[in-house]
Amino acid sequence: MQIPVVQKVLAANDLLAGEMRAEFEKFGLFVVNIMGSPGAGKTSLIEQTLSRAGDLKIGVVEGDLATSLDAERIARHGAQVVQINTGGACHLDASMVRKALDRIDVTSLDVLIIENVGNLVCPVSFDLGETARVVVCSIPEGDDKVLKYPAIFSSASIVVLNKIDLLPYVPFDLAKFEESIANIGRRLIKVSCNTGDGLDNWMEWLRARQV
Amino acid sequence: MHELGITQNVLSIVLKEATKAGASRVTKVSLKVGEWSTVEPDCLKFYFGILAKGTLAEGAEVAVEQVPVAYACENCGHEYIPLVSAFACPRCSSNKGKLITGRELFVDSIEVENADSGSAKSSGCK
Repeated sequence: MQIPVVQKVLAANDLLAGEMRAEFEKFGLFVVNIMGSPGAGKTSLIEQTLSRAGDLKIGVVEGDLATSLDAERIARHGAQVVQINTGGACHLDASMVRKALDRIDVTSLDVLIIENVGNLVCPVSFDLGETARVVVCSIPEGDDKVLKYPAIFSSASIVVLNKIDLLPYVPFDLAKFEESIANIGRRLIKVSCNTGDGLDNWMEWLRARQV
Repeated sequence: MHELGITQNVLSIVLKEATKAGASRVTKVSLKVGEWSTVEPDCLKFYFGILAKGTLAEGAEVAVEQVPVAYACENCGHEYIPLVSAFACPRCSSNKGKLITGRELFVDSIEVENADSGSAKSSGCK
């Protein structure tokens, strides 16, 4: 006998994420889920953001497999930061973020940045209740990433290309990368967290708090 | 990469539904898995075989229907399957496409033995 089930496997995650999203909207909080490969520059981008924040109140949730190295880097900037150690999970999920929120006062914030686990695959499937998704990619990763990982790039609100100061030293076809971003219809912001190039454009996007 | 946790969720949905129906055994589990769901069907099947041991679903066949990625153009409404190299709408060239299928991941149905007749009800999917 066949029984129709039609149940989402990630229903619990989606439900919780939906509840959190409603809560964030109540406070007028802009929540950014930052995704990207290990070493793309996610933490550097957050550090640069904090040092340019001015009167924008930003809190950070740091997802990592192990260590609180990133959280320590962020805490030096005086921001509220909570470390989540996933203990090997390849992505953050809504329940991890929910737990982290007990240790952060979101009512006092304008922006909450969630740094996801370094991975271009798994984080795609897990809604964290975010307002916007940002994928950070970098020059040394190569210019073919959008073609190889279309799911994550097309789930992004915007794409940040970091380490543009390395263009003279690394074989990277910028025109090809830009074309692949245009192809999926996303906005690209080019930055260097090392030299500060392009970060004004990034801050402008963040301050606007519009997806 | 995270198929173990996903498969545990699948199994708990299956066992809950089978128990609800008073079934003695689950013989088949049918899943719909989107091309961009980040789940590898073979990996899911492998874990299911292990996790289901000693449960009502031990030895059940796992059938996975893969759902391709499809877009709907927000400009002209045309629905199409994008190519990795060409996401723009083939009809009007707009790249304001919205993903309509390809990220789903759900248990579609199960086949069971000795269920109480008339107890099969869909739980619904939002």
